[in-house]
Amino acid sequence: MKNFVHLSILIFFAFGLNGCDQKPVTAPSGKTIKIGLIAPLSGPDDTKGKEGLKGIQLAMQMWPYLQNGDRIELITADDQNDPALTVQSLKKLVQKNEISAIITFSTSDPVLAMAQVAFDYQTPILAAIATHPEITWQNGYISQLCFDDHFQGTTAALFIRDELLIDTVAIFSNPRNAYSSDLAATFESKFKSIGGEITDWIISAPETADLSEMLKGVRDHRPELLYLPIGAKDVLRIIREVRNLDWAPQMMGSDGLISTMLTEHKKQLSLLNGMLAIDFFSHEMGLTDFGEKVKDAYHSKYKGKQRATSTTYGALGVEGYALLLDAINRCKDPTDRECINLQIRSTKNFSGIMGNITIGLDGKAQRALCINSIQNGLSEFIVKVY
Amino acid sequence: MTEYVSSAVFVYTEDTKYLIEPLQNNSVGTRITPMAFDALMQTPKARLEGVDHVVVAGPLDVIKEILRLATDFHFSTGIIPTKEQTDLIKFYDLPKNPEDAAELALRRDGQVMDIMLCNGKIMLFKATVGQIPLLDTPSKASWIRVMADAMRKFFKFKLYTFRFSTAGKKKIHTAASGCMILQHSRGSFASKLISQDHTFSDGMISLVISAPISMIAYARLLWQALKSSAGFKKLPSSIGYIKSPQIDIAAETPIDVIIDDEDRTQTPLHCETIPQAVRINVGQSLQDEAAGVAVAAERIDIDNLPTENELLKAKRHKRIPFFSYASEERFHELFTSLREDARINGIYLVLMVLSTMLAAVGLYLNSVSVIIGAMLLAPLMAPIVSLAMGILRGDIALFRKSIGKIIVGVLIALLSSALITLLFPHKPVTDEMLARLNPTLLDLAVAIISGIAAACSKSFKEIMQSLAGVAIAVALVPPLTVAGIGIGRLDFHFFYQAFLLFSTNLVGIVIAATFTFRVLGYSAVVRSKSGLAVVLIFLALISIPLYLSYSRIVEDRVFEKNWQKERFLVNEKYLLIRKATLFRRGDKRIILMEIYAREPLNREDLNAFKAKIQANFSQKLIIRINTFYIP
Repeated sequence: MKNFVHLSILIFFAFGLNGCDQKPVTAPSGKTIKIGLIAPLSGPDDTKGKEGLKGIQLAMQMWPYLQNGDRIELITADDQNDPALTVQSLKKLVQKNEISAIITFSTSDPVLAMAQVAFDYQTPILAAIATHPEITWQNGYISQLCFDDHFQGTTAALFIRDELLIDTVAIFSNPRNAYSSDLAATFESKFKSIGGEITDWIISAPETADLSEMLKGVRDHRPELLYLPIGAKDVLRIIREVRNLDWAPQMMGSDGLISTMLTEHKKQLSLLNGMLAIDFFSHEMGLTDFGEKVKDAYHSKYKGKQRATSTTYGALGVEGYALLLDAINRCKDPTDRECINLQIRSTKNFSGIMGNITIGLDGKAQRALCINSIQNGLSEFIVKVY
Repeated sequence: MTEYVSSAVFVYTEDTKYLIEPLQNNSVGTRITPMAFDALMQTPKARLEGVDHVVVAGPLDVIKEILRLATDFHFSTGIIPTKEQTDLIKFYDLPKNPEDAAELALRRDGQVMDIMLCNGKIMLFKATVGQIPLLDTPSKASWIRVMADAMRKFFKFKLYTFRFSTAGKKKIHTAASGCMILQHSRGSFASKLISQDHTFSDGMISLVISAPISMIAYARLLWQALKSSAGFKKLPSSIGYIKSPQIDIAAETPIDVIIDDEDRTQTPLHCETIPQAVRINVGQSLQDEAAGVAVAAERIDIDNLPTENELLKAKRHKRIPFFSYASEERFHELFTSLREDARINGIYLVLMVLSTMLAAVGLYLNSVSVIIGAMLLAPLMAPIVSLAMGILRGDIALFRKSIGKIIVGVLIALLSSALITLLFPHKPVTDEMLARLNPTLLDLAVAIISGIAAACSKSFKEIMQSLAGVAIAVALVPPLTVAGIGIGRLDFHFFYQAFLLFSTNLVGIVIAATFTFRVLGYSAVVRSKSGLAVVLIFLALISIPLYLSYSRIVEDRVFEKNWQKERFLVNEKYLLIRKATLFRRGDKRIILMEIYAREPLNREDLNAFKAKIQANFSQKLIIRINTFYIP
């Protein structure tokens, strides 16, 4: 009898412990599902691609299999953020590699260029950082993981006007970049509609002549804030000139600025101190359970090594892969692109690193953005906008 | 004018032989006859016949022997101390310089003094029996030395049972770590204790008894020793004092007795005094002291010593326990008061009804001042404190009476408030009621602190008036009334949460008061552990919902705080969260939000807003919105 009691207790604990936190281990099926990554892995924008790839690799290490045991294989294609190469890479991945879906870390222009091909090949594409609103308009196969420029530009205008109580703003934009010009236009439109005044709209490109003189003119119009939806190099150029003029207006950058600075211009980070920037994440915000798991995996992966800088691109890489995996898992046939596309666009309250992500049937992501203040390379959280 | 003896015998030993010549060449004209101590002791009678004055220099046993001869041959004695004989110098106030000491030793005006004999041995300064922490510490020692001395002995000593009997036939049976017999008050902490009562020629022996029954009592004695540098008006706790011409000390087992730090003997010890047996040339301060000698009477001050069944406990333990204990007789007044507090009477019932009614009205009016009035009126604190003592001492009668009184009070409060609620046509839930529906571990902390204060104020009359403050802090009746209101509203959640707060207060006070009474030394001699175990079990049980509640509150406050940084873009309209407050009703979570908007919000906007909240936080969140428009 005594032995029976002991045995019962043992069995109870064995079952109890097993049932506590253990997820069923996926048994490999032996099959492989291919997903593609189109990203600038070389060229001037390579940071975006490389960081995104790091994030995807970390996520693949955490979740290497689908629920049915199929292993995920990642096939990468370097498009150098060039629209022509992007289209070429997409064709190659679809035709030669028979991928089920694609994640892209290319920016708005190359992704806009992919629209027709994606439609022709009926291949679901998840755009991680291409925020242009028209990306999801032109076909039913490209979905955004990121918020779009309309949300970002409108929020920036409202925040500046209603919370910072600023009346006058000067905008700097790059007309050759769809992302920059669209964001600037959205901002201008909203800011004006709520009674704000745009004192200047400056075209900022690397070859912009005599930036100093231009800024003197801007200063004379007394804008309280400079809105800078432009690349990190251009932002740095403007900040330097502004400092040279002994002028200290408030400044706001757009998404990806801090990540680019951290990876490409680390030594000049201090120039950005006090600047506002919109981003997907903040260093100070609490993590979701998913975020905590990713953080642990990240620390574990880089333990003992010189830790890589965690960037927005890397975090979006993790989220993109996990969200795609979630969508594929909801399809009976993991190679069924139509199903995957539909499931991506039916994503509801997917728990990302710092909050939920919902992707509607229109392919647009509903996710919060953060307005941060940059201090010594860290994003100090000011507000989160849903 | 100082007079000197015309002749004197100088008794020396080999070590003090060098003093012969300077003494013989004294400047006061005294004729000196040197005599070796050993030679003297061979035929003392022959050598001391007709001698009026003897000067002695040598070891303490030699001096004692000369003093014994002085009692037989009635000569006066002068002492020349060596530099090493510091106790002797201090005790008789002798000069350190040999020349000055010789001058004093040759004077005619010797001071009449008693001689103490313990088991036949002469005792000049003191005799110690057993362990006497602190008593033998020099009275002028620095506090660092006192502390160091005390700490060294802290964990070592135990209590022995002693029987003391006096010349007046008084017999005292007690327990003590040790005792000290004193010749007169000079030099040690023990002598400081009796400095007002003792001289060297009153024909009495002084016995100071040390009986710290616990480490707490010992620490208290230490504290008293440190803070009273000038002396004591009354004996400190743990100290007893006997003064009699004759004292007999017997212990259960023989205990070492050390006389003047040199001689050893054992209990039983018989000490007697030979009054005014010798005349010794002493320093000026001792002469002045002697001028005020009054006829002394036997004195026995043993209130602080363990008696009766306290002795049993002292016997049982190898070392003294950490906490003190006491028989009921020792705190008779307090226990009488506590028994009175545990008795149900008409006033209690009336006060319970009145305080509950007042609390109910105050809660419905949402009036803090009325509720405080009810707190002050409430008579629940007294039986709870009695309950704590009942538990500590394992006093079943006290326990039953107090718990009965509490249960009756609780039932009255629940019934009264439920009835009032049923009678009220309008039953609003006020903020004051809501404030009593979320008990947490912090409430337990408040109850514990209040319990300590309650026990202290009951123990020390001088802070009795603080009980009102304690009653307000812990507020027993309002949560009970809210629980009764819950019954009246047939709302179990209301009842449960408020009753949990009351139970928290009750258990917190009881356990804290029990512990405080224990620290203060009110434990029974034979302590009951079962009562305390029951309270601890209750504490553990009540801590679980309190912990969960506390965690939930922390989570809610973090949630609420985070909202202050949340913004919403709804159909192009920017919404700022001014304030978010989270309420719980059972499983439901209700968030009350105050938002700022610049543009009017229509139904579509509000639905979109709600959808965004539910998508990002929880589908189950019930949302209530107050909108403030900013033009």
